[in-house]
Amino acid sequence: MAQRLKPVDVVTIGVGLTGSLAALELAETGLKVVGLERGAPRYTVPDFQSPAIHDELRFSIRKAMMQDNVKVAVSFRNNSDQTALPIRRWESFLPGQGLGGSFVHWNGQSFRFQVADFIYRTHILERYGQKFLDACGPELTIQDWGVTYDELEPHYDRFEYLCGVSGKAGNIKGQIQAGGNPFEAPRSREYPNPPLKEPYFGAIFRKGAESLGYHPYPQPSSNLSRPYINPLGLQLEQCVFCGFCERYACEHYAKASPQTIILPVLLKNPNYELQTSCEVLRINLDSTRKKATGVTYVDAAGREFEQPAELVLITAFPLNNVRTLLLSGIGKPYDPKTGEGVVGRNYSYQTTGGPTVFMDESININPFMSSGAPGTMIDDFSGDNFDHSQLGFIGGQYVGSIMTNGRPIEFHPTPPGTPAWGLEWKRAVDRHYNHTILIQQHGTSAASRLNYLDLDPTYKDAWGQPLLRMTFDFPENDIRMSQYIADKVVEIGRAMGGKIVVRGGTERPYTTTVYQSTHNCGGAVMGSDPKTSVVNRYLQCWDVPNVFSLGGSAIPQNGTYNYSVTIGALTYWALDAIKNKYLKSPGPLVHA
Amino acid sequence: MRASKTWRCLLLAAAAAVLAPLGLITLVQAQSQARQPDARRGAVIAAQGTPAGAPACALCHAFNGASDGSGAFPRIAGQSAFYLAGQLRDFASGVRTNAIMSPIAKALSPDDVADVAAYYAGVDAPFLPLKAPDAALVKRGEALAKVGSEERRIQSCDNCHGPGGAGEPPAIPYLAGQYANYIAFTLREWQRGFRKNSPDAMAVMAKKLDEQEGSVLNVEMG
Repeated sequence: MAQRLKPVDVVTIGVGLTGSLAALELAETGLKVVGLERGAPRYTVPDFQSPAIHDELRFSIRKAMMQDNVKVAVSFRNNSDQTALPIRRWESFLPGQGLGGSFVHWNGQSFRFQVADFIYRTHILERYGQKFLDACGPELTIQDWGVTYDELEPHYDRFEYLCGVSGKAGNIKGQIQAGGNPFEAPRSREYPNPPLKEPYFGAIFRKGAESLGYHPYPQPSSNLSRPYINPLGLQLEQCVFCGFCERYACEHYAKASPQTIILPVLLKNPNYELQTSCEVLRINLDSTRKKATGVTYVDAAGREFEQPAELVLITAFPLNNVRTLLLSGIGKPYDPKTGEGVVGRNYSYQTTGGPTVFMDESININPFMSSGAPGTMIDDFSGDNFDHSQLGFIGGQYVGSIMTNGRPIEFHPTPPGTPAWGLEWKRAVDRHYNHTILIQQHGTSAASRLNYLDLDPTYKDAWGQPLLRMTFDFPENDIRMSQYIADKVVEIGRAMGGKIVVRGGTERPYTTTVYQSTHNCGGAVMGSDPKTSVVNRYLQCWDVPNVFSLGGSAIPQNGTYNYSVTIGALTYWALDAIKNKYLKSPGPLVHA
Repeated sequence: MRASKTWRCLLLAAAAAVLAPLGLITLVQAQSQARQPDARRGAVIAAQGTPAGAPACALCHAFNGASDGSGAFPRIAGQSAFYLAGQLRDFASGVRTNAIMSPIAKALSPDDVADVAAYYAGVDAPFLPLKAPDAALVKRGEALAKVGSEERRIQSCDNCHGPGGAGEPPAIPYLAGQYANYIAFTLREWQRGFRKNSPDAMAVMAKKLDEQEGSVLNVEMG
């Protein structure tokens, strides 16, 4: 029997980026907030200090910061005809666990989405027409977000200043800025900090890309270029290019994470209570099933508690937001046969991969000196920045040299034809380790009616609840897009002086055994129609108005970019509505 | 004058003894320079100064770079040539100001700087027997140096200065074995702006330490 706890105003399921940001905003209004985190508490000091934090075997290979998939895995299959099996080793994507969530081990790559991304369906239909979209793939279910870029801009701005993003504006209020990205959506002001110093690989990429007429710019980064005090009064340090960023926590207070930019203020707020090692089993609903009464969770000792709350915020990793909704019976689960239902619908991913450029031995890259977001990039092929009318696909990718590390276990590029082990392999690693440049293609993933999330009928977690089941393969549209850009990028590799350029590009079938991206997207998407969305434009559940589902699960289909900063902006956007509208008059903020 | 000549002779004799194992000297960052640093010439400068008027380094830092243990002068034995040369250039340019070292550095030519840095980088000097520091201070300093303080957002010194303060050459100096008084002194230099050659890292870090911590930290390192 669950022990019933004293009611609170707000409970957050997960204390990562969205959970800590939302809790701070609401605790500051005087509401009592409880944050439930399934993982352990952890802080820059002492948990992230060297030399233990640079343990490549522990963090990169054994994934010490990731969701404990001995307890809760995700099952996977490529299509509805297959039987899904649990993912026993995280490889393709890496959901974080522990205080701060995935926003601790992220790379700090800090982009905004583009204007067209938010009105994607409208934009594509206006520019190319329905016939064109049908030809790209009749299974595609792209849609508008229900919120526009202009509405989000102030929230993007606020979040970037919270993080201290280091970058160079390319477009301030419509004025193109020299040195920045001319394709970026108009921003209201410059980044809070100047861009990171450009590594040598970036300089070589810049030269090659410029020689072909493209528009290189420095990647915006939440690994800071200089000491910075954020609007909460928290000081961040300068990134030292240690080469242990993604899959790791920062020991230098130099990467924006809940620990560095939010939690020290939140944890001092008397209205906030943090509970760690607490596994939320479900959101409880009253008899009408239109109102949540709180959540039920199990603590580390196995004791079950009921935490009553007026407002429930689902602030977990996107996949876990969807699973929480399904386990709680909130919203109609998506049925791929009929196309009806919404929870689990429009799960999308991210197209990644790019060429490897093998340089002459006289070019010393020193890849080990790097940050998580040190790239030099171009947006010439991002989103809808180029004319697709003759191409037979929608979407695009950014292209850039973003080498985040030269870590010894993970980084040993060798050209095709090299044996996979033995003396010749070692010789090839020795020859190429310091003379190889990786180029990243990173882009859109169109939503498809064939791809979705639901509850696994067979496999259960440590608490006896069904695992989330992922059914996913890249739509042919995405493969055509990625392969088209792969050809262009090979030309850049040659212009950089590559002796051997190994072509990149995404292929089918999608596999979970190779790292691609942790930008799992959608499944509880936002929109203006309850038939095609789980949450309204303020991320409020259509069916249960005192539940909000915050985070990447709300994104209807993935854009070109790494989505973290967009998640931050969406969270501020939703919190603005909660504070200024919902709290004054609890109930649906949008009437369908 | 006479005394100083005798001193110089002694130093030269010592130089000869130390120069024997010079194969150990590491010539750092020389690949792109036409001229290779000459550690033997550096040893002579260390022992007797230069005709241009720079006094012998050994007068304060000892010929083996161990200095005198007072902490008024840092130990420089085995510190990377890249780091030592950089500091000399910064003393000369004024990025790092010091009434004693700035005129000395100005009197050294670029070749002198490279040579003398190469010499001291290659010396493996013994550690002087010093009085044991206060155990409580060491404990407090060790916590700050190896772990840091979450409450005050002070990261561990080891993050950059290597495990146990062993250094991350060539760019980052060792702290282990450095004299406590010297580390305390130079932290104050960072705090007060006399050292400006790493303003985004060390100045920020030093300003987070209070006066007592400056000394505490260093006892541990020494």
